[in-house]
Amino acid sequence: MSALIRNLGVRIASAGLASKHVLPSVSALSHRLSSTAAADAKKPEKPTVRKPDAVARTHLSDFGRYVAECLPKYVQKVQLTAGDELEVLIAPEGVVPVLQFLKDHHQAQFTNLVDIAGMDVPCRENRFEVIYNLLSLRFNARIRVKTYTDELTPLDSACEVHKAANWYEREIWDMYGVFFANHPDLRRILTDYGFEGHPQRRDFPLSGYVELRYDDEKKRVVCEPLELAQEFRKFDLAAPWEQFPNFRNANPPAEVVQPATPPKK
Amino acid sequence: MAGREAIKRAVQQVRPILSVDREEARKRALNLYKAWYRQIPYIVMDYDIPMSVEQCRAKLREEFVKQRHVTDIRVIDMLVIKGQMELKESVEIWKQKGHIMRYWKESQDPKPTDFLSKFIQGV
Amino acid sequence: MIRAPLVKALGALGSPTHQIASRAVRTSAIVAQTPAKAPDTIEVFVDDIPVQVLPGTTVLQAAAQIGVEIPRFCYHERLAVAGNCRMCLVEVEKSPKPVAACAMPVMKGWRIKTNSEMTRKAREGVMEFLLMNHPLDCPICDQGGECDLQDQAMAFGSDRSRFTDINYTGKRAVEDKDIGPLVKTIMTRCIHCTRCIRFASEIAGVDDLGTTGRGNDMQIGTYVEKLFLTELSGNVIDLCPVGALTNKPYSFVARPWEIRKVSSIDVLDAVGSNIVISTRTNEVLRILPRENEDVNEEWLADKSRFACDGLKRQRLVAPMVRMPNGELQAVEWESALIAVAKALQKANGQIAGVAGQLADVEAMVALKDLINRLEGETLVTEQDFIKGSGTDVRANYLLNSNIAGLEEADAVLLVGTNPRYEAPLVNTRLRKAYVHNELQIASIGPKIDLSYSHDNLGSDASLIKDVCSGSHAFSKVLEGAKKPAIIIGADILERSDGAAIHATIAEYCEKLKKPDWNPFNVLQNNAAQVGAYDVGYQPGLQRINQAQPKVLVLLNADAGKLTREQLPKDCFVVYIGSHGDNGASIADAVLPGAAYTEKQATYVNTEGRAQQTLPGVSPPGMAREDWKILRALSEVTGTPLGYDTLDELRTRLEDIAPHLTRLGKLEKASFNELSPKTATSKSISGGAIDVKQKELREYFMTDAISRASPTMAKCISAVNKQQRQDEAKQSVAI
Repeated sequence: MSALIRNLGVRIASAGLASKHVLPSVSALSHRLSSTAAADAKKPEKPTVRKPDAVARTHLSDFGRYVAECLPKYVQKVQLTAGDELEVLIAPEGVVPVLQFLKDHHQAQFTNLVDIAGMDVPCRENRFEVIYNLLSLRFNARIRVKTYTDELTPLDSACEVHKAANWYEREIWDMYGVFFANHPDLRRILTDYGFEGHPQRRDFPLSGYVELRYDDEKKRVVCEPLELAQEFRKFDLAAPWEQFPNFRNANPPAEVVQPATPPKK
Repeated sequence: MAGREAIKRAVQQVRPILSVDREEARKRALNLYKAWYRQIPYIVMDYDIPMSVEQCRAKLREEFVKQRHVTDIRVIDMLVIKGQMELKESVEIWKQKGHIMRYWKESQDPKPTDFLSKFIQGV
Repeated sequence: MIRAPLVKALGALGSPTHQIASRAVRTSAIVAQTPAKAPDTIEVFVDDIPVQVLPGTTVLQAAAQIGVEIPRFCYHERLAVAGNCRMCLVEVEKSPKPVAACAMPVMKGWRIKTNSEMTRKAREGVMEFLLMNHPLDCPICDQGGECDLQDQAMAFGSDRSRFTDINYTGKRAVEDKDIGPLVKTIMTRCIHCTRCIRFASEIAGVDDLGTTGRGNDMQIGTYVEKLFLTELSGNVIDLCPVGALTNKPYSFVARPWEIRKVSSIDVLDAVGSNIVISTRTNEVLRILPRENEDVNEEWLADKSRFACDGLKRQRLVAPMVRMPNGELQAVEWESALIAVAKALQKANGQIAGVAGQLADVEAMVALKDLINRLEGETLVTEQDFIKGSGTDVRANYLLNSNIAGLEEADAVLLVGTNPRYEAPLVNTRLRKAYVHNELQIASIGPKIDLSYSHDNLGSDASLIKDVCSGSHAFSKVLEGAKKPAIIIGADILERSDGAAIHATIAEYCEKLKKPDWNPFNVLQNNAAQVGAYDVGYQPGLQRINQAQPKVLVLLNADAGKLTREQLPKDCFVVYIGSHGDNGASIADAVLPGAAYTEKQATYVNTEGRAQQTLPGVSPPGMAREDWKILRALSEVTGTPLGYDTLDELRTRLEDIAPHLTRLGKLEKASFNELSPKTATSKSISGGAIDVKQKELREYFMTDAISRASPTMAKCISAVNKQQRQDEAKQSVAI
């Protein structure tokens, strides 16, 4: 990622360089200054919680800002989640241009579409989120592009940009019922022929609606409405220490990357 | 402000799936119906199902009439797309006999509707 | 007279903690008792947020006012402050040591820090001390998953252990006690919060539990080997913050996260306690109380809590019809309904219905509608009441002072009732008033132990006349009281001179009446009773004898008051209910109904509060909800009732008795309604007044569900055993 950022521009590059060269010496200095430095050095690392690298974070947010500046029409928000994961939130019509930009930009080269994921939040106006996970092998960097849609609004297929999108989009179509316009071969991929509904929607029951069995009389598999002989076991897994909400310290889920300079008129 | 929003909502520009007006959607639905209608003899033959062509066509009609109340163009389009996919699955013999027979729901007993039979069945 | 024994006893102990604790209680009691003085609030700061509190408020209460819950084990809102677990230690600025928040009254300008370094360290230290002597047996502990110690150890404990004694040489181990068939003890787990002791002596009024030894050798127990037998013993299970006291019938049955909880209502007495039914895989596992300040606070009587295993025994699972050879034989619903419908059609309107003690309002309305459509008129309840038109006026059969209101009473006369066993949670209210409100109580009836001291005026019925004419000494007490109350047991109104007793007392209550206080109370002992009167059922089985019906429908009527001999030879008896008990044994056709955990149904408690049960499980086998059986029967008879769903039935109910559809609300009878004029004669015939439930062993089995419960049977044998032991000991001593 640092290599990628260095090429972006003079300002960012200098920041990157500074961090690359200056920061280690600063940290070494601080180590020397602190009296317990020796004792600290002996202590084994406890990697129970991975702490994101501050340098990597600035690089990521700088890149996110750069993407937002290049594609102001499509990018709505840039954020960092889980400390150091860059997310670009875009308008639905921007899927192809944004992915094309990220793939073809010489300093990005996100040529690898790792996965397309779906997400359903029924209470939202646009209930589905579609999430593209991209990998840049050239710069060893990852980025996430998120967009949104509802049951009836088609998204543009990313197949023309990434061939890998073909099956992923079929999966999203099958699981969520999001229609992809201009997809070369949009049809079911995981569910059985004749299966009704989209199983990953939140309003689809965990047990499903139908069950299949082999009917010995008819000599074929028949499909019937589901009847559970035993009660469906649902566990009440609410955290028992919820009764002390004042004593919880959770990390912020997402930090928004603000644009570099506020837009002036 | 609220008025403007209401107008915006009323003339909300939505992205069409396929059709831009009702007439086009109607044509698509009719085309799908005709395609199914023409394919039914081959489906009956290929899958060797214990149904006559007439029965199948009655079923086809029933399935279309079931969606008669739909007026939203995009919903019609979505249904046409799904119907098209189903047609392809059937014609290409990706499906099996059981999948085709599922349309008739033979093995399902109708649910009781009046109080007394519901009471006796315990539902 | 020592009314609040523990607080005084704690004060006498002399340890600084106890002094603080008792001072806190006393100050708060004083504040509560002198509301006339304008309270000057003082300002304190909890985590730098200013709070205005009354003087005498404890640190813990002040923090609770702004929503900061300080962790605690020994502190409980309804019990006296003990201050011995030290979990609630918090830092107060400029105080050298952390203070116990539950026992320390706040001072002006205090800055309390509930999450500072010192506070957290103090909590961590306390937790470490507690866990040092607490066994690591959470995987086999029944409290696991709902354990305060577990939760708080997660939230406030240290994340690593300094416990190095891998041979367990130093861990405290305490022998388990046998304190009865309901409460299981694993005393090694005890953290000595003394909540159980305080509950027993303050709320239950049984000074059986206490501590022996001190420091590391301290033990909770009964001093000598004996059972902790009270009608409220199950509540110590809920109070215990750890797994030292657990539910014996429920032991090793389920984990809290795998059970489903349904909020419902208890129907085994007329209090209508709010409960939570815990179910798993269509089985009721246990019953817990649900908080409702107006009814049961947060307690639950033992019968309501432990009789739930009776819901699985003796159940009717298929319709049955009596064959010509006299045997009941299981049949399909169709044939059972046709058999009953034929009998109903042949009866020519000579049909009667009897509602028993567990009948719900909906089913009673459906039965009434069905019988009225078939031109029958006779609809009675199993429980008798005064003769005449006593049930026309609602105030005549309600607990008019209402359950929560009895807390404020300052003079109470009990006439022919034993609230301790007929309505244990009404009795806790009386005891609360006795302890905190200087309540004076007298009773007319047999000498009984009410868990608080009271004047037994005698058992002769003529005493009622003495008191009500103002000549008796206790009349002065009643007349001088601000809020007097007279509570009549429902059973004595069944006497032949019941109407006279009722009228005499009602007339006297007219005199005692205060602007917003109705002193006239009838304590019902059946959950169905008030609802039955509200929808127009008449009391008393003698009407059945007069009517000589051809078909008799018993709706949950299991009291065994009705025998085959009282009925005409050709009478066709239909029983609708959940358990194979007295009612089913005399029936010609048995239609299996649902128990209260299996249906959504309305019940009205003794103070006139309509509440509904919700289904936790489905009825077993072919059993159906009671009102549905009657609805189906009406259709087979050819006179279908006009409702197919519960909502439609509730609409019909609203036409008859609109107050019964306002669930959860107390619908008071108006003052003027109380009419003594209903009685024809006012001569009380004298003779001893008796109550049915005098001793604990008579409490456990009073209805079809508790009679089927093995746990209740165990309770009775435990009480008997204890009594035999006591007698043996006494004879040895002599």
